[in-house]
Amino acid sequence: MHDQKKEPTYEKELFERLKKSASLKREEECIGSMIKPVHWWMIEHINPKTAEISEAIACSCPHLKRSDTAKKGRCLKEIHRVIRKAADTKTLTRFECKEGLHGFVYPIAQGDKIYGHIGACYRKREAYPQILDIFSAFTDTIVREAQKELELSKLYETIRPRAIALSTVHTVHRLISSTLDLNELLPRVARLSLQIMRANRCSIKLMDAKRKTLLPKATVDLREKKSRLKKVKIGMWAPGKAVKYGRPVRGDDYLATPLIDEDVIGVITIYDKIDKKPFTAFDQEIMSTLAEQAVIAIKNAQLYKEQERLTMGGIRSLATILDTRAPHAYIARASFLKIAVTMAQEMRLNLTEVKSLEYAAILHDAGEILIPDEILAKPTKLTEEEYEMVKRHPAAGVEIIKHMKALRSATPIILYHHENYDGTGYPKGLKMDQIPVGARIMAIVSAFESMITKKPYRTVKSIDESLEEIKKNSGSQFDPKLVDVFMRVVARKDIRSMLEKELYGNS
Amino acid sequence: MEIAKLLASKIRRKIVAFFHENQASIDTPRGVATWIGEDRSKVKKALEELVDAGVLIAHRSSSTSGYSYTRNPRIISKISEIIDESSTA
Repeated sequence: MHDQKKEPTYEKELFERLKKSASLKREEECIGSMIKPVHWWMIEHINPKTAEISEAIACSCPHLKRSDTAKKGRCLKEIHRVIRKAADTKTLTRFECKEGLHGFVYPIAQGDKIYGHIGACYRKREAYPQILDIFSAFTDTIVREAQKELELSKLYETIRPRAIALSTVHTVHRLISSTLDLNELLPRVARLSLQIMRANRCSIKLMDAKRKTLLPKATVDLREKKSRLKKVKIGMWAPGKAVKYGRPVRGDDYLATPLIDEDVIGVITIYDKIDKKPFTAFDQEIMSTLAEQAVIAIKNAQLYKEQERLTMGGIRSLATILDTRAPHAYIARASFLKIAVTMAQEMRLNLTEVKSLEYAAILHDAGEILIPDEILAKPTKLTEEEYEMVKRHPAAGVEIIKHMKALRSATPIILYHHENYDGTGYPKGLKMDQIPVGARIMAIVSAFESMITKKPYRTVKSIDESLEEIKKNSGSQFDPKLVDVFMRVVARKDIRSMLEKELYGNS
Repeated sequence: MEIAKLLASKIRRKIVAFFHENQASIDTPRGVATWIGEDRSKVKKALEELVDAGVLIAHRSSSTSGYSYTRNPRIISKISEIIDESSTA
């Protein structure tokens, strides 16, 4: 692609293709058998020098090889004249050389273009014109065939690398638009950029508009000696300049491409190609295309994050309102949210499912607002009628949140988080896999939360006592597979410490 | 698996030749299958085998996987030798 070697011209390529053409060889054999003995020759140029004619003919003409210099000169001059005449008329032109041999020159032509000449020197008697007509017609067909082959091959050579590049761009687009998590997206863009550019380091910086600086957000450095991540002022270094001027900045060992939406939102900078070659205009073009796609993905992820923040804000406000009725009942502790989310991630649930679980973890008991205070605060066993009222709280919770579209995916978790794995729960008595996985996770986390926090109807258990209780109910109340996941998650040092800090104020 | 043995399979050899020729390419199993003119499911299996052998890198997302050529100079040079040998043979 970047090779400076001079490409052969179309005419030259066509001539070379004809020289090697099996069809032309067969034709020469066939026509040759009718006018034998015959010496075939080919000349590339339209108006060749005599030395070129001499070289082309001498190898096949025994007379020319033997001729003295004066005779040879006269002979070549005659053939030169015939070649020029053939080129002018673009038709087969006969001649008789000074040695008394007959011959013809046929211009290899298509339209106005002449690509060279085919010549033949044969016995003393002239060939029948019909034979030469057949030769002309066949040669024209062979030239057209060679032209088509050459054009097809050129088309293939031109289109294939572009099609492969386009396919790469399409694949990159699919890979980067499949995530809405900026923490996952930016390193992915950096790794893909490195791969496409065959470079060693990529850094993505995003704008901090207030401070007029670029903050490093993702860096992939494959060199042994790694560079320190640093902020860059706008206008400084290649990344800063690319952002300031809103166009790529290219040096031999770096290429900074701005990420432009309506305004510049950041910059991708690639450093050090593996093969040590300098970055080229083609690299710049490819990186600009990749940057355009990255901008769309980054904006989508930022919008998603913003929407996520608004939804979470709404949920927390709702939880705060509900909490005025029963303090600390709805403000979910960060550690419980963390346990629920980590369990969902361990179960490889997708981003939407994880988010749904997070929302449900905050609002799973929202329906309790419809249960009278005296029932919620009753320290003794509930009557059957009271218990029936309690059992309606999951459905009531769904009623409360049903108008919030963003929470729609959380409704099955809220509705079924009191279902038991063995089918003895409520509201529907679902069992095992009939219960949505989010609700099965919520059942464990909610029960754990209930055991270790103060409730009017039961004494508070310690963390370890609660874990024992959960284990005891594995397979009956809880999904045993999820109980194993829960135990692993709670045993994690960071989560255990977070839990202890929230519950007892120490770690 | 040793690279020469790995390339004894026709599909794996065609895939490696494609990525060796287009080292900046990242493509899906469907794309690679199109470029080398082979069945997609067979290509998908061969791509994973090449990833396991360190000849290709997999870029995975929830919706698809993209494959690209190794950056390991030792592997690239070995593949280069094998391809050159077979083209001169």
